[in-house]
Amino acid sequence: MAERFAVLPCNGLDKAVGPLAREIALMVVEACQGELICPVLYNNLPAHYAKALELPLIVVDGCGTRCASKLATEHDLKVRRKLQATDAFKEMGESRGEGLTPDPERLALCRLLAERLLSAPDEGTALGSEAAFAEPVEYATVTHDKFIFRIPMKGYLFDENHCWAHIAGNRARVGIADYMQQELGDLTFCELPQIGAEVEQFGEIGSVESVKAVSDIISPVSGRVVAANAAVVEAPEIINEDPYVKGWVAEVELRDLASDRDLLLDGEAYLALVRQKAAEYRP
Amino acid sequence: MSDETFMGVPRERIPWYPTIDYSKCDFCMECDKFCPHQVYARREGEVKLVVAHPTNCVVFCRACAKTCGPDALSFPNKPETIELIKRLREEGDDG
Repeated sequence: MAERFAVLPCNGLDKAVGPLAREIALMVVEACQGELICPVLYNNLPAHYAKALELPLIVVDGCGTRCASKLATEHDLKVRRKLQATDAFKEMGESRGEGLTPDPERLALCRLLAERLLSAPDEGTALGSEAAFAEPVEYATVTHDKFIFRIPMKGYLFDENHCWAHIAGNRARVGIADYMQQELGDLTFCELPQIGAEVEQFGEIGSVESVKAVSDIISPVSGRVVAANAAVVEAPEIINEDPYVKGWVAEVELRDLASDRDLLLDGEAYLALVRQKAAEYRP
Repeated sequence: MSDETFMGVPRERIPWYPTIDYSKCDFCMECDKFCPHQVYARREGEVKLVVAHPTNCVVFCRACAKTCGPDALSFPNKPETIELIKRLREEGDDG
């Protein structure tokens, strides 16, 4: 008997992808004898699903607005697995169709995605290599008005999208720089990459959202995601408080650091960039 | 700001910005509301939204596309853009 799940899908009934998310959710629930959570009713009457939510949770978003994921975050739900239908169809190189009623081909693809979800690894469960990244970090600072931006000077490489990679052996942890977390302001949401995913240099390795804006996290390095930091999903403010150490987002097994490095900045060069940016900084 | 550079390359030489597919766009303006860099601008008339300031767009950022319900925004191919930046950097070194 497969593990049972509660499934919280998108309710995007007015877009082609919404009904696809709904079909995937129904197929998962059917296959694992799970529980379906209606996002509208859950939003109004969460207590109705208290029992169902004792099961591990799968979230199925339709489009990039990720309403279902956000609903889960607002209610402090722990998400075990998730899928976003628009991206999933893109990854398969398939059209998500136009109409509001999925055709048989779309339904077959939904079934495939539902099966994959049931056999997928859990979100952010693989443990990172704590010991390898435990060295104390020394910072240089750039001050502008009342703002102080910290930059770790050793062991970190940066891209010009203000994301960092902390290198230890053949692995790197990736996260966002102090400058970016201050620019975004208080973070309310962090999305992690899937464990096992291959990421290209400057590819997306998650996203962060604040009261002001959403930003992709751009990986400075290429490789395979071996761990993701579940702590920052539960408490995104960790990234505000400690962006370079506790606020790591993903851990990557490096593919070609020598080549990646050509396009990255070391602490010294990134310090110069932040100096230049800070001069024109207006939050 | 024409003196902006990205990875050592003049920003205007990097063709990274969104393209609006007007056959899909329903002018809901979510992308314009979202983007803090004034890449988009609203217009009177039939075409109510344009990419007005393409070089304001943050290279490799595609976040606005995620706000687009009808999936009307597209960006250049990322690996090809990286190759182009590498080439332009080498040219810059030679010159």
